[in-house]
Amino acid sequence: MGRKAQKNDSLPGSLDMLILRTLSRRDLHGYGIVQFIQQSSDNELLVEEGSLYPALQRLELNGWIEGVWGVTSNNRRARIYKITAAGRRQLAVETRKYAKLTLAIARVMGAE
Amino acid sequence: MLRRLRYWIESARRSEALREEMELHLAEKAAELEADGMTAERARAEARRRFGNVGLKHEESREIWITRFWSELSQDVRYGCRTMTANKAFSALAVLSLALGIGANTAIYSLMESILMRSLPVGDPESLVVLNWHSRPPKNASQQWEHVIHGVQGILWPGDKGNMVSGMFPYGAFETLREENPVFSTLFGYFNGLNRTLAVRGQAMSASTEYVTGEYFRGLAVSPAAGRLIESEDDHPGAAPVAVISFATSQNRFGGPPNAIGQSILVDNVSFTVIGVAPPEFFGVDPAAAPDLYLPLHTNVLVDGAGAARMYGDGNFYWIEMMGRLRPGVSMAQAQAVLAPRFHQWVATTATTDGERAKLPALMLNPGAAGLGNLRRKYSKPLYVLLMMAGMILAITCANIANLLLARAAARRREMAVRLSLGAGRFRVVRQLLTESVMLASLGGALGVLFAIWGVRSLTLLLSNGRENFTLHAELNWSVLGVTAALSVVCGLLFGLAPAIQSTSPDVMPALKNGRGGGPRRRAQHVLVVAQIAVSFLLLVAAGLFVRTLNKLHSVQLGYARENILLFSLNARQAGHRDPEMATFYANLRKRFESIPGVSSATLSQSSIISAGMAGGAYRGTMKIGAVTGVTIVGAGVIAAGPRFLTTMQIPILAGREIDERDQPGSPSVAVISERLARTYFGNENPLGRRVTFVDEKRDLEIVGVSANVRYGGLKEGSPMTVFTAASQFPPDRVTYALRVAGDPLTYVRSVHEVVREADSRIPVTNVFTQAAEIDRTISREITFAKLCTGFAVLALLIACVGLYGTVSYSVARQTGEIGIRMALGAQRGAVVWMVLRRVLLLAAVGLAISVPAALSASQLVKSFLFETQPNDPGTLALAGVVLLSAAILAGYAPARRASQIDPLAALRHE
Repeated sequence: MGRKAQKNDSLPGSLDMLILRTLSRRDLHGYGIVQFIQQSSDNELLVEEGSLYPALQRLELNGWIEGVWGVTSNNRRARIYKITAAGRRQLAVETRKYAKLTLAIARVMGAE
Repeated sequence: MLRRLRYWIESARRSEALREEMELHLAEKAAELEADGMTAERARAEARRRFGNVGLKHEESREIWITRFWSELSQDVRYGCRTMTANKAFSALAVLSLALGIGANTAIYSLMESILMRSLPVGDPESLVVLNWHSRPPKNASQQWEHVIHGVQGILWPGDKGNMVSGMFPYGAFETLREENPVFSTLFGYFNGLNRTLAVRGQAMSASTEYVTGEYFRGLAVSPAAGRLIESEDDHPGAAPVAVISFATSQNRFGGPPNAIGQSILVDNVSFTVIGVAPPEFFGVDPAAAPDLYLPLHTNVLVDGAGAARMYGDGNFYWIEMMGRLRPGVSMAQAQAVLAPRFHQWVATTATTDGERAKLPALMLNPGAAGLGNLRRKYSKPLYVLLMMAGMILAITCANIANLLLARAAARRREMAVRLSLGAGRFRVVRQLLTESVMLASLGGALGVLFAIWGVRSLTLLLSNGRENFTLHAELNWSVLGVTAALSVVCGLLFGLAPAIQSTSPDVMPALKNGRGGGPRRRAQHVLVVAQIAVSFLLLVAAGLFVRTLNKLHSVQLGYARENILLFSLNARQAGHRDPEMATFYANLRKRFESIPGVSSATLSQSSIISAGMAGGAYRGTMKIGAVTGVTIVGAGVIAAGPRFLTTMQIPILAGREIDERDQPGSPSVAVISERLARTYFGNENPLGRRVTFVDEKRDLEIVGVSANVRYGGLKEGSPMTVFTAASQFPPDRVTYALRVAGDPLTYVRSVHEVVREADSRIPVTNVFTQAAEIDRTISREITFAKLCTGFAVLALLIACVGLYGTVSYSVARQTGEIGIRMALGAQRGAVVWMVLRRVLLLAAVGLAISVPAALSASQLVKSFLFETQPNDPGTLALAGVVLLSAAILAGYAPARRASQIDPLAALRHE
């Protein structure tokens, strides 16, 4: 608990990618997305929770995800987000970019 | 973009959804923390802490869809509002002048469009043509009428080179052209039946009537709103009398089109059956008229009496108007080529002398899509002049807006520099300035719409000139409004853009240092002010000329009373009265009017004196002094008047007596002549007892009196030579009564109606006016011009003065330091005032120098609207110049005074 949440802005735009990747596995609501990212990164990545919502709005405006009203596991009304076909294409683009970037960084770090 | 817009529209709902989502998030987080062993309260606080600033995140999310563009726009608008309220006077004037400019232009152009350009509301108006003819002047070298036209019922108007043009034809010409016509699918005729008394279920009212041939409605391709329209079978002698009424009449008199069908009506006491109702948008073929009643052509014999049947056989009497519809594929030129020889051949058979044969009328076709041209001929030139003036106002307005924006940009140079140096984007600052310009322009445009609506109404009212059935069908033209409004916005953008870009130039240091503007903008301002002054002068001259014309018209010596007289007309023939009973009826009514309390005398005549020229005198033929062999009287008008006419009109009797009760149908015919007539033809002899001969009627009238000079007919073309005859001896069908009353004449209208209703309820009282209004009606165009031009000129002057004031104030502010130094060195206050005023006068003088030659040539355009006033009237020019210079000095004095009150110490310290 005491650990400071690692900021996710070390790689700009990575939050969008993480959200898209998460939603490509299953449809989730906002809090579910945060939890999923944290758990699947073994609590290494802590999403700044407040920043999630502007990101969701942006993604929806771009037509990459789609929010519909649904019900959570404990029966509360929530907006459940789905990834769209355009979102999957975008995810592919970003994944490629990310792979290039990490490879480049790894090369630099390895050259030390 | 579309999605953005939708998001923006749904923004309230989405905002709510977002809030709900965030709250759910916090609740779940808190629940999780609580499960880990925290207290509920701490868990909630921790959840919030981890989430961050809920409000801010909410805002950020919202911004994603509301986008910066909109929020910045609303910022700009808010800021613009603040700037506008900070400069109330300037902004109000800018908006007001813009609104007036846009409004005036839109109103006048809308009116022009409806008069000059709009097509008739009928099927395929483009294939309609109007038939006219033109011929050489009818009078021969010795001023005698020699022409195949022996009689005419309608208008002749002057064409090129003194030629005569008309749309009237004899019936024979119509029949000839109608037979086997290869170029027209239909040829139809009509003529104005004037106002008739229409009685529906015992209720009588005046109704304007159009006589139409059986092909009229088919030719115009109009379909009825109810029933059927007049067809060929309805239009021949002996056919059952049927009528078609206008849509408005069906509503006013029958309560709707279906109720009117099959109803019996009385037209001038002749029974007709209503067979149909014209569609609501239909107004006949003349945009200036809207007949209430359409009757088959040949029924005029029933209504006007058997005498009217002569019109059909008389090849020298011109009365019927014609329109044709071209067959598909036939051009107007082809039709002309086919029909002109045919008409020529026919008209040649009607000529009896060589003089007549030498100048036969020649047929010409004109486009008929916009209907008849009477209105166009009458109003197109005045409207062009008005449009030009309104255009000038718009130009001045745009110049003023430009000036205002330039001045303001200069004044805000420092503000801009501060904003730029604090890191504002240049584009952002320019955009904000543009927003302000466009705001001013749009406000002006919105207000302009109101002005335009009001303008169209009042202009229609002005042009209608008090006539009851004047229907111009003018309405606001939205496309015109769009153009003028767009013009003002473009002007705002254009003149806002230049200073905006300039004042946001990256080099902010000089501006920050002294905060005062540079040279080029001042020159631009001066050019604008000079232009405004020049245009204002033009409008002032125009206003001066029209006001002078109006004064001249008002100072024309009428020779009879203008005030305290009520006029109204009755037509007893139309209600079934016939001679000789009708004369007694009119005479008895006169006595009854005279007994109304407050009426000191009552009289009757065939028309009011002012409209006698247009209504046609009691006699129009040749008049001679003494016997048939005597001297011909030239240029005198005849008016049939009842007893006490001269007394009622307050025309002095110089010798003998006026026409009175002694003059009866059986007694010797008498005449009273005006002094000028007596002087011209009798010299110093006594005319009493001598005779005037009406040659065409073979009647001798004994001169029983001489009146003072009276202006017979209109103010412009009237003549001082008048012959009064006794109405009992020359009985008119329709009479105009004149009552001399105490107090406001219009308060007696009710009593008049009562008296007439008692005497015969079938007779409507028409043309109720005061004598003053009746006279003004004949010069309504001059009155309209004088009023509008004065308004325009005052407006232009005001706007120009504002521009001048702004420019001078600005340069005074700029020169504060210089003036301070001058005063510190001992300059007197008066010298400082003079220094500033000198510049004002210089600007005004340059404006005048440009404008005087322009005014001299432009005023030639309005020459035909002037009366006893020269277009280059030096008095008017001088007066306009003086007014302009005084206004300029007045506008410059305030800043000059301010300059003289500068405290040298404060000014120098400021520097």
